[in-house]
Amino acid sequence: MNALTASAAIASGRVQLANVRQSALLTAKKRALIILLAFVFLTATALMRVVQIGLFEGSPDRRSMADALVPERGEITDRNGVALARAFPSYSLWYNPKAFGEKGGSPLVKTPEEVARALVQIFPDADYDDLVRRLKSDKPSYLRKRVLPEEANHVFALGEPALEFPRENQRYYPQGSLAANVLGFVDLAGKGHVGMEQVLEPRLLDPAQRANPVALSIDARAQGALEDELGRGMLESNAKGAAGIILDVDTGEVIALASLPSFNPNRSDRVFNGLVFNRVSNQVYELGSTFKPITVAAAIDAGVITDLSVRYPTGPLNIGGFTIHDSHNFGPSLNVPEALVHSSNIVTAQIADKLGGPALRRIMMQLGMNERPTIELPARGFPLWPRGTDAKGDWARITTMTVSYGHGIAVTPLHLASAYAALVNGGIWRPATLYKVDPARVPPGRRVFKASTSARIRQLLRMIVVDGTGRKADASGFRVGGKTGSAEKPGAGGYRRTSLVATFAAAFPMDKPRYVVIAMLDEPQGTVATSGQRTAAWNAAPIVGRVVPRIGPLLGVVPDASRDVDITDLSPLVANGDGE
Amino acid sequence: MIVTANRLRSIGWVVLLALCGAVVLALSFRVNALRSQVHRAEQRIVALKQEKMYLETEFETRANQQQLKSWNDIEFGYVAPTAGQYLENERQLASLSKPADPDAPAPIRVASADDSVIASAAFPAMVSPLTGKSAQAEEAIAQTDAPAAHVDHATATAALGERLGTVGRSRHAEGAAPAAKKKAAKTVGAKTVDKAGSAKASASRSASAAGKPRSVTARKEGRISR
Repeated sequence: MNALTASAAIASGRVQLANVRQSALLTAKKRALIILLAFVFLTATALMRVVQIGLFEGSPDRRSMADALVPERGEITDRNGVALARAFPSYSLWYNPKAFGEKGGSPLVKTPEEVARALVQIFPDADYDDLVRRLKSDKPSYLRKRVLPEEANHVFALGEPALEFPRENQRYYPQGSLAANVLGFVDLAGKGHVGMEQVLEPRLLDPAQRANPVALSIDARAQGALEDELGRGMLESNAKGAAGIILDVDTGEVIALASLPSFNPNRSDRVFNGLVFNRVSNQVYELGSTFKPITVAAAIDAGVITDLSVRYPTGPLNIGGFTIHDSHNFGPSLNVPEALVHSSNIVTAQIADKLGGPALRRIMMQLGMNERPTIELPARGFPLWPRGTDAKGDWARITTMTVSYGHGIAVTPLHLASAYAALVNGGIWRPATLYKVDPARVPPGRRVFKASTSARIRQLLRMIVVDGTGRKADASGFRVGGKTGSAEKPGAGGYRRTSLVATFAAAFPMDKPRYVVIAMLDEPQGTVATSGQRTAAWNAAPIVGRVVPRIGPLLGVVPDASRDVDITDLSPLVANGDGE
Repeated sequence: MIVTANRLRSIGWVVLLALCGAVVLALSFRVNALRSQVHRAEQRIVALKQEKMYLETEFETRANQQQLKSWNDIEFGYVAPTAGQYLENERQLASLSKPADPDAPAPIRVASADDSVIASAAFPAMVSPLTGKSAQAEEAIAQTDAPAAHVDHATATAALGERLGTVGRSRHAEGAAPAAKKKAAKTVGAKTVDKAGSAKASASRSASAAGKPRSVTARKEGRISR
């Protein structure tokens, strides 16, 4: 029994053992299979990934590079490709109060006052109180736009995670306030204002075109020289403002256009003020004696003046209760060259009277004086065009006379520049433009004066600079010709004798005019620098005299003392040169 | 194990297929590796171009017109070149350092010159007053009877040094020339204007060389009022 039970027990133990072994083997096999499957899966996945990467990924997008280099807003350059406005990714300083998460204490490591003090040390022009206010508030805000990389490094060294430096595409003007009135500015929302930024907005934002910069007709060097000298003239004469323009007489391209005081378009947050005002294209002035050459040209053109030596009486003219005076007494009579050299209102009025209102009016209209100036800028002033007395709009006799010497009609300096271009370029008026003009596609313009009239006017303008009021503009070798104009500004109860608009309208070189230069000062004062005088001969003419030598060689006009327009047939007619 | 020829052939095909597949895979891997290299290179180019733009902008900002002006005011003091610093043509260059003869007439200035003619013309070669042909062409004709060679600007400039030498040597030989020139000056009459060497004289525009005194002598120089 015992043995039987023992053997049975052994037998059953064996069976059990065999079972255990079998099941253990099965488990092991299962596990090995699972591991094998896992490895197969892993290998397959890895292989798939390799094939995926190898075959499909890593192929560069053909357009990626071109896209990355296209600016968000197209670049504006001057005529020689110097960047005037460009999209520029720059750092800005952003305060993020949620830098440490939604909840919790102060987002700053130090106190807001300490941080603000440190920031003021980095940015000396920052407002401490404003910074403290912003750092204490729980709203995210810009602490500063446009931070230089070195400044960003300094701020980073403060160790404040709440101060962030997002890199943003901004509009940047490398030349600062240069040509600010031409360019305008882009506000914080990215919208262009005032100048070409506004005009060109669709073109600058067009994805198809924005890769190519827009070339303006401006020459940055000439613009710099003009702004520089106008600024100097404005300071010297203590004037309220100044305006200047350089115009290509043959194409109508604006080479430089300056209106001072100006603004810095880089600080678009601060430019919504009175300085964003273009005196050249938007403000109208009575430009005074600078109109006299236009009147004389109209008279020569119409055959009213055939003999320049004919003398006109210079006694005060009394027309309908209004008396026309001259600033000085120039003797009992003057001929036409003398009238221009001395700037006689009386003689010019008589010439206009002989010419007649309709003829003068027609010339003025052909010169575009009765409409807004033709230029691309959005701000263009409407001239104060004298009202006519009859249905045709013809002027009264006294109106004709005052318009002849630039009173009773108010136009922008740009009108005057275009008119002078027509006076000297052979008689063809062309619209002014701020776009670079292809020499083969110059607009035909319209003929206002005969070529012979233009040649005569070139002589007369040169005489004014050689012998007359424009002597201070006579840059040696540049053959400058031009006319001064010092018009009293209208005020309450008539003209104000001490508030003048001093203008010098010039062109050079007179033997083959290339550029018109206009310099205008608004309410210049008599100072030591201007010898106590406030007329154009003393403040505006010297500006042109300094600008021309600076811009001439840059614009391809070489000074040459051995050339000039021939005025020998006229100079015997002029006694001496004094006048307005 | 005996393998039949049929089986061997099919194994061969499979191996060949696997080999081709492996080669294709390897090749496409290689191609894509190159592509991603190109991609990286492009990214680098973009980054460098942007960097260049930053630097360029920084340079333009630091060297903008106003900045240059203030540097010039403080440091350099450059002024615009004057008329005396320009030489229009080879003739002016030739006469630059040559003092005028005591009895030489003032240079003749033509009243109006057509720029387009001057611009388009090469340096005018010496022209014979008799035939109206250039001196070199005349020589060529005399020597070889060949057609006159066209004198272009390059050769004219190249021969400049030679001509300068000629001018210096032949000064005495041309002793009679000033008188002839003086005569010419008179005949031009009102169309000539005195240059008189100095800029001041030029500006005052006396017409004395033309033998035509100014009608008005009482010029009030320098007094300008309204």
